[in-house]
Amino acid sequence: MAEYKLLTQHIGADGLQTRAGYERLGGYQGLREVFRRFTPEQFIEQVKLSGLRGRGGAGFPTGTKWSFLPKDVFPRYLCCNADESEPACFKDRYLIDENPHQLIEGVLIAAYALQVHHAFIYIRGEYHDQRLLLERCVEEAGGAGYIGRNILGSGFDCEVIVHGGAGAYICGEETALIDSLEGYRGQPRLKPPFPALKGLYGKPTVVNNVETLSNLPHIVLRGGDWFKGIGTERSTGTRVWCVSGHIERPGCYEMENGRPIRELLEEEAGGVWQGRRLKAFQPGGGSMQVLLPEHLDLPLDMDAVMKAGSSLGAGAMMFMDETTCMVNVSMRLVDFYHHESCGKCVPCREGTYFESDLMHRLEAGTCKPEELATLSDICDNMNGKCFCPLGDTATWFVMSAYQAFREEFEAHCGAGGCPVRGGARTAALVGAS
Amino acid sequence: MTAAPPPGDGQVGLVIDGREVRVPKGTLLLDAASEVGIHIPIYCAHPKMDPVAVCRMCLVQVEKLPKLQPACATVVSEGMVVDTQSDATAKAREGMLEFLLLNHPLDCPVCDRGGECDLQDFAFRYGPDTSRFPITEKVHFDKAVPLSDKIELDQERCILCWRCVRYYDEITGEKEIVLQQRGVHTAVATFDGQPLRSDYQGNLPEICPVGALTHRQYRFKARPWDLIRTKGVCPECSYGCNVFVDSRDFEVKRFASRDNPMVDDMWLCDRGRYSATSWNSTSRLRRPLVRDAAGGVRDVGVADAVKEAARRLLAVSERGGGEVIGVLGSPDCTNEEAWLLQRLAREVLRTPHIDHQLAEMLRLGPAEHALGIAEIESCTAVVVLGPEPEVNAPVLTLRLHKAATKRGVAVHRVAANAEPRDITARVGDARLVGVVADETNRARAAAVASALAGGGTAVKRMTVTRGGNGRGVKDMGLLPDLAPGYRPAVPAGMGGRAILESATSGSIQALLLLHAGGVLAGLGALVESALRIAKVVVVIDTKPGVLADAATVLIPGHSLMEKQGSVTNLEGRVQRIRAALPPATSVPSELRVLSMLAGALGAEGWGSGDLMEVHRALAADVPAYAAAGNGGRARWEVAAA
Amino acid sequence: MFKEIAKGMAFTLKQMLSKPITLQWPEEQKPSPPRHRGRHILHRYDNGLEKCIGCELCAAACPVGCIYVGSAENDPAHPVSPGERYAERYEINLMRCIYCGYCAEACPTEAITLGPRYELADYRRERLVATKEDLLEAWPGFEKSLADNPRGAGADQREQAGRAPGVSPRVAWEDREGAVGQAGRGSPAAGQEGLAPHVPTVATPPKRNPG
Repeated sequence: MAEYKLLTQHIGADGLQTRAGYERLGGYQGLREVFRRFTPEQFIEQVKLSGLRGRGGAGFPTGTKWSFLPKDVFPRYLCCNADESEPACFKDRYLIDENPHQLIEGVLIAAYALQVHHAFIYIRGEYHDQRLLLERCVEEAGGAGYIGRNILGSGFDCEVIVHGGAGAYICGEETALIDSLEGYRGQPRLKPPFPALKGLYGKPTVVNNVETLSNLPHIVLRGGDWFKGIGTERSTGTRVWCVSGHIERPGCYEMENGRPIRELLEEEAGGVWQGRRLKAFQPGGGSMQVLLPEHLDLPLDMDAVMKAGSSLGAGAMMFMDETTCMVNVSMRLVDFYHHESCGKCVPCREGTYFESDLMHRLEAGTCKPEELATLSDICDNMNGKCFCPLGDTATWFVMSAYQAFREEFEAHCGAGGCPVRGGARTAALVGAS
Repeated sequence: MTAAPPPGDGQVGLVIDGREVRVPKGTLLLDAASEVGIHIPIYCAHPKMDPVAVCRMCLVQVEKLPKLQPACATVVSEGMVVDTQSDATAKAREGMLEFLLLNHPLDCPVCDRGGECDLQDFAFRYGPDTSRFPITEKVHFDKAVPLSDKIELDQERCILCWRCVRYYDEITGEKEIVLQQRGVHTAVATFDGQPLRSDYQGNLPEICPVGALTHRQYRFKARPWDLIRTKGVCPECSYGCNVFVDSRDFEVKRFASRDNPMVDDMWLCDRGRYSATSWNSTSRLRRPLVRDAAGGVRDVGVADAVKEAARRLLAVSERGGGEVIGVLGSPDCTNEEAWLLQRLAREVLRTPHIDHQLAEMLRLGPAEHALGIAEIESCTAVVVLGPEPEVNAPVLTLRLHKAATKRGVAVHRVAANAEPRDITARVGDARLVGVVADETNRARAAAVASALAGGGTAVKRMTVTRGGNGRGVKDMGLLPDLAPGYRPAVPAGMGGRAILESATSGSIQALLLLHAGGVLAGLGALVESALRIAKVVVVIDTKPGVLADAATVLIPGHSLMEKQGSVTNLEGRVQRIRAALPPATSVPSELRVLSMLAGALGAEGWGSGDLMEVHRALAADVPAYAAAGNGGRARWEVAAA
Repeated sequence: MFKEIAKGMAFTLKQMLSKPITLQWPEEQKPSPPRHRGRHILHRYDNGLEKCIGCELCAAACPVGCIYVGSAENDPAHPVSPGERYAERYEINLMRCIYCGYCAEACPTEAITLGPRYELADYRRERLVATKEDLLEAWPGFEKSLADNPRGAGADQREQAGRAPGVSPRVAWEDREGAVGQAGRGSPAAGQEGLAPHVPTVATPPKRNPG
């Protein structure tokens, strides 16, 4: 699939983290060309044509999102969402680490298309090294005239500000990100009004993922039509997949949309480790529903995976081998959501606590069988009733695991310990991200 | 479901629980439901604040939408079909209540809110019978944390509805309360643990849906079912905030807000709210006294006291005419008392010397209070002269903040001595400008208003009067130069200070003082010498003090918590007050005492001083008051037309 | 005829010799049945803290409105009851009370029960309004509690969970009740009898009839 490595094609090249190294490999050509070839409106049309969908998890078409900005309301803001906190997801870190200028170029192209003069890169607090790297790159790019006043003589001005978060998962939600950026508690805002109408500082704002923006230089250079030709009809382009769990070669692999998941597992990641069999996998990061080995032949296509009852989310594949205890995984994930719940709405704040308490007792084997009904009932009371998707997604994995591995959950009730692992702890799956 | 009504102009038709309702565009579902009397439980939503939709209690089913929608934040749309009673809604409510009660302590029996708590009420009405959560796992927080000398916080009871945080953000703009930590450990706190400094803290316990924020003053004083609730008006200033006077065991336990959107908008200031217990003072006058020339004091019945007062007043007026008598009321009088007092002075005692305060207030006119409180929101700009208006009527600040932040009114706070020129320049182009001043700055306010009006702008003035019924007693003609309804008094008499000075010089020989203790307090030598030199001092008052000590005839009065009548706020709104406490004295009301006095002075046809009788006579004399009724504004323009 | 008289006399003689069933009250006291609903008792925990928290639910439940409770805030250094709130005044108008026991049923802390005492007659009506001192039970466990918990009474209620051995407060109260009954109620000290001097009591305001 070499011809379709876009974002990662130069990774590993010498000096890619410097402006000179990036320029040597054709870097910042996209930015030069976008000024020359397109008006902002034309470029938005190109992005629409390309069918590029957001890579942050929801998969909303980027061009459409851009076109929601009200005309004639200025200033507007662009936020690059680098608050990658989804369990098992590490592609943004990889892209920033390996090719930071590609992201900065993407941010500038998007800023031009949206006529934004202040673009923010909101990077999570834990990515401290990446933040320093980005700050250095922004300075470098500014020195070369890519950022600042009258960029490359185009008459377009743009400042890029790298802002570090303080380490809250919820700040990956776009409105919470905006709140955090403004200096408030990172908590989601009430929608509507959507950020496209009233976002950062009450002005129209677009929030895009790192990977989404990194695609833009390639769309400028080769056109939306070309981009549309890659992948499937509704999931165009390539994606950088984060593959982790019980596999031989964990890591980030760029692969065209539409290939079967099996190919990603067996060819790129080297298959399940230690010759064991696959028990289950999660296709879209910690939030998404569990899939079974029979789903391995599904294509890497948002709609196809959706139909199977899960979602590709942010493209984080976590594979679990036959020794994995699904109750344990659920418990670890629920603990994550309990820890990360911002506390704004009742069902998420209290529900994740209830869920976590129950899962701990279930894993310890002190749960009564009738409490499994309680578990599914509280999940039902949370799902779809929370303020933002965090609370909803806190139930998805547990519920899907409970449905798919019911006997395993039931076997835990009153067992006095984990019957699957027999007390031996396997690799800390969830903590691995 | 029935089809929604056809679309009309600016109105949206929808169906809630099978009931058709038409509401203006942009209405929230919650308000549309209450329009047709459908109750939707809420915690975070508050009628005076913007929605946040965090408690998820108001989730309802909307046809064609996959998820339940929060009624507090959902704007109605044409043809919407809403079900607030569906199984899904009921289950969601039950689920939310189970979640809310997860970490809520079981201390309802000791909670000041127990009995008037939304969490109790909704849990009883919509909640689950039992909790499935093990009680040992509850998260614990600090209990009884004082946030200031007025407010106590119990973090455990808090359900994190954000109302207090939003109150400080939206209503006062002071931003004193923050949320700390996250998730299940989130807690309300002040930044850095600093005490609250706001002058409006007392509203916090009222907006808190549970007992997390409570009054220190009211702490464990009563359970809600002990309280006798009386509708009243806060007597602390002339803003006229509506309150519930909650009493138990013949003591006022608290003032609770009684939402009047035209006046207080449901907010009270701490000065007013916490003045509640001051009415429980046991230091009161209880029995009439008559002091003879030698200084001997006699305990007498009220009839004898009135007769003695009449005899002595007649004695001085027979020799020197009515003009030797000075009459002083005060802003602590009700309208009826003030009207009866001026009638007694002008018709029976035949003296023109009558006033209600010492500062001279000549040629007052209704134009000085043409601007209504709620009208501030529809002004283009408001000019506030000096800090006095907001110091003397603190709730005004909240109305100005609302006007500025939610209605886009430009509020200019200028120095009391600012040049009218500069103010005009600062205001610039404006459609309607409000000029707000304290009554001591009348002249400056008039100059500013005429300067603004000279530029072609419509100007309305608001004057913050001093004392609880400062406006009412002026309307009632407790003024040397004006009779009731701002009619000129002929002849004009002396003002308050002149009366006292004349008493010192001997040209005034008798004083009739009704509830004047407050206005005369702290004047020292002038009052003392006037009282010493005057031959006859008839005092009707509630508390012991200089006046009571000097009175030759002393008749105990009823406090504002003990009587009925009407008072008028600074914008001219006539509001009824009712007796919340039984009188501390067996002496009948001031109205009866004044009528008895008139009878003893030989006047005919004064009746018994029954409240309704006096009020009818007052309304006949002042048509603006007849038109105002109870709760309306006395509109002098209308009366004049 | 004679036979009938003899029969009657025999019966009379038999009754004369048998033990009389009359109880020589008040010299002799009849024990009340265990669930007798007589005059109320306000209980204490073993460490001397009052169980009553002044919540007024008894007053709310009372069908005749004979209970008056006025509560106040505990001084953490010298608590009267565990927690924040205690009853500063607790009065029951025994003339109005119908001894239905709803107060005991409503009580969330089992602070009030209806006791064995039924001799409630008095010559003065105001003495039939029982105050907190009248109703509060004595506290025999004080010395023991002090030994267990040198920090003083009620330093931590939960540490006192294990009940002190020996006589239960309830039994002690009933003993005292008998003694009081014989001594005649109404002497001012009656309610204070048996109270250790350092029991954390509150200065009770002057007695007033329930408002």
